[in-house]
Amino acid sequence: MNDYSMKILTIIFLVIISSYVLAQTKSVDECRVCHLELDDELLIPAQNYSSDIHYSKNITCAGCHGGNPKSDDPEIAMSEESGFIGIPDRTTRYEVCVKCHADQQTMNSYGSKLPTDQFEKLKNSIHFESSYNNKGPIADCITCHSVHNISKVDDPRSKVYPTNVISLCGSCHSNADIIKNYNPGLPIDQVAKYKTSVHGKMNTIGDPNVAECVSCHGSHNINPANDPRSQVYAANISAVCAKCHSNVQLMKKYKIPTDQYESYVKSVHGIALLEKGDISAPACNDCHGNHGAVPPGVESISKVCGSCHVLNMELFEKSPHQKAFDENGFPECETCHGNHSIRYATDDMVGTQESSVCMECHSIDDDNKGYFVAGEMKMLIDSLKNEDKETKEILKEATQKGMDVSESEYSLKDIRQILIQSRTTIHTFNLEKFDESINEGFEIVSKSKQAGIDAVDDYYFRRVGLGIATIIVTFLVIGLYLKIRRLEKKS
Amino acid sequence: MKNSNNQSSKNIIYKWIDERYNISGLLEFAKKKSVPEYRETIWYYFGGIALLLFIIQVISGILLLMYYQGTEDSAFESVKYISTKVSFGWLIRSVHSWSANLMIFAIFIHMFSVYFLKSFRRPRELTWYTGFGLLLVAMGFGFSGYLLPWNELAFFATKVGTDIAGQLPLIGEPLLKLLRGGADVTGATLSRFYGFHVAFFPGIFTILLTLHLIFIQRQGIAEPEDWKDLPESEKKSIPFFPNFTLRELLFWLIVINILAILAVFFPWELGNKADPFTSAPVGIKPEWYFMFMFQTLKYIPGEILFLNGEFVGISFFGIAGLLWFLVPFWDNRTPAGKKNKLITYVGIIVITYIIVLTILGYLLV
Repeated sequence: MNDYSMKILTIIFLVIISSYVLAQTKSVDECRVCHLELDDELLIPAQNYSSDIHYSKNITCAGCHGGNPKSDDPEIAMSEESGFIGIPDRTTRYEVCVKCHADQQTMNSYGSKLPTDQFEKLKNSIHFESSYNNKGPIADCITCHSVHNISKVDDPRSKVYPTNVISLCGSCHSNADIIKNYNPGLPIDQVAKYKTSVHGKMNTIGDPNVAECVSCHGSHNINPANDPRSQVYAANISAVCAKCHSNVQLMKKYKIPTDQYESYVKSVHGIALLEKGDISAPACNDCHGNHGAVPPGVESISKVCGSCHVLNMELFEKSPHQKAFDENGFPECETCHGNHSIRYATDDMVGTQESSVCMECHSIDDDNKGYFVAGEMKMLIDSLKNEDKETKEILKEATQKGMDVSESEYSLKDIRQILIQSRTTIHTFNLEKFDESINEGFEIVSKSKQAGIDAVDDYYFRRVGLGIATIIVTFLVIGLYLKIRRLEKKS
Repeated sequence: MKNSNNQSSKNIIYKWIDERYNISGLLEFAKKKSVPEYRETIWYYFGGIALLLFIIQVISGILLLMYYQGTEDSAFESVKYISTKVSFGWLIRSVHSWSANLMIFAIFIHMFSVYFLKSFRRPRELTWYTGFGLLLVAMGFGFSGYLLPWNELAFFATKVGTDIAGQLPLIGEPLLKLLRGGADVTGATLSRFYGFHVAFFPGIFTILLTLHLIFIQRQGIAEPEDWKDLPESEKKSIPFFPNFTLRELLFWLIVINILAILAVFFPWELGNKADPFTSAPVGIKPEWYFMFMFQTLKYIPGEILFLNGEFVGISFFGIAGLLWFLVPFWDNRTPAGKKNKLITYVGIIVITYIIVLTILGYLLV
């Protein structure tokens, strides 16, 4: 063995020795050493901990339980002086996690890039409210992330991994015994519905990219759907859906278009909800469902739209169009109104002009009846609007002349409602029924117009009457004046 | 021939009435009565104009009563009905409102002319007192009538007006409750004001007016101050009947025509129905003849020394009104045949004050 070989052997020996020493230093956790020799509930945590993310970061049992992990004497290791707390109290056990996870410096020291705002979010969530039996928050860190075998979120072993999170949430939310303690009215069928949805089916077969509970409700910052801070609040939900559905890269493999959100925000529904703040206006989930989200079938579209537009649905279902649409595979309401990009329905949608949707199927050449009905309906609506406008002008003139026509002005307010009703009646596609609805408007307009004309005539009649009275009075005054003069001359 | 026939039928009717009611005696009395004729005679007609307007008030008021309903639920609607549906209802209502205002205006002119001509002097003190009483009752008519259409403006003006009355010490609170029929202006107030307007005030007004006219007829028309030393031959006068009566009639015709023009060109607005639960609209103002007092109260600070500002204001007007009422008492120079310029100066100050404050009231609303 030459010098060179001796040097190499010495280096290898030193490396092995120092590695051993280092390894011994890292795993100096007398708690585990001892607990691994115990039974059952004292053994299992120690066993599980070897697969915990915290174990890999060299965090000993004492990190959470306190005590002296270097001492092999249980009296010393678990003494009060060494700061041993045992099993953290249920009401405040989250503090053990918060100690590190809310402190950026500590997290950096472990090489973690995790955010440190989880606790801040949790504090403002419904889960942090006091549990019904006053045993701390409804749900804390351990409730979801478990203990002693905590894994990273993207680790399939983690309880909060996308394909595991459904059963995690369901463990409480599908359990009537738990939920009824908080909100007896809250349904417990979310998981069952979810499993029938496209999202649920994909998740069940192990696709971690589809939406699950956390994707929509958030994780630490969960709040009830009627709370404006909630991600699933009516005004927030469309943006939540768009997070995935407007993601071209993500949707590519599902072959789903990504322009729905863009169309929706410009639609009458999107403007009502997102710009005007009308939370009764529909968002994605109102048509597609939430937990059981699916695209509505062609034949059920009128039912979906009809959940709000009840009358339109009822009239459409009794109309000849429903059968024709279903037979030809036309998506009912969507055929004329569109889907995500539904615009304000103007009167130009009906009629025989180019902008009319009726003309997409009917034409003068091959369908005289449909063409005629569409033309008549449009003509009647336009003439009622014109008559209304003209009557308002007459009443305005009468008012400017100081005449009281408030009663007619008041009855004219009904025209707006009658027009709305008539527009709804269009969905019968029956001219007779449409006439019944709109004729009431023509009667009101006719009476109001006559009242306006009478008022203006009365205005001139009053002036003429005054003129005649003034002439008579003037003659009387002159006559009287002459009489007085004659009388006074005489005397 | 035809003319003589007419004449004889007139005579028959005259004779028939005269036999029963002794008209010729009355005419003789009227013919003997005379009215001084000089440069201030024009003011003598305003008493008669106020009387005409009162008659118009009574007639138009009776016509309105046929349709008006004095309850909280139907007062506004009934006035609206009168204005829009009843034949010539708009005219009757407008004439009633306009003649009410013109009547108070005519009473003011009549009162100030009597004041400046010092016709209140002995022996006509009681005529002055009854006249002043008639002015107060006419203002009461105006205040109570303003609320009857139960519109927004009238509702809040009544609230403010009765609030002011409630500031009076001792009698303030009972008076407020008496006027309102409770703590607030409600339907009970409307019923009360309706009662005041169509029963209580007409009764008082008729008594005072009768006394006022009897006093004038018994004492004759007052002569100007400086006629005292004139010989009878230099005193120019005209017979009360038919000369003065015909002249008065001529003025009446002109006033009726003015009233018709106002009613047609400026129909009285109704506004919105009173709603006690809404806040007071901008521009709450009383009738023009209360404006000078209302505006004065606005200028008075909330507290003067240790006294409530409104109380000081009301007391000021109370004392001023009392002094005005008692002018025949404290004017001791005029009855003695001496010139009393103080009376004239006080009158000018009062008129200027009323005009300026009224204008300010309308400009600053």
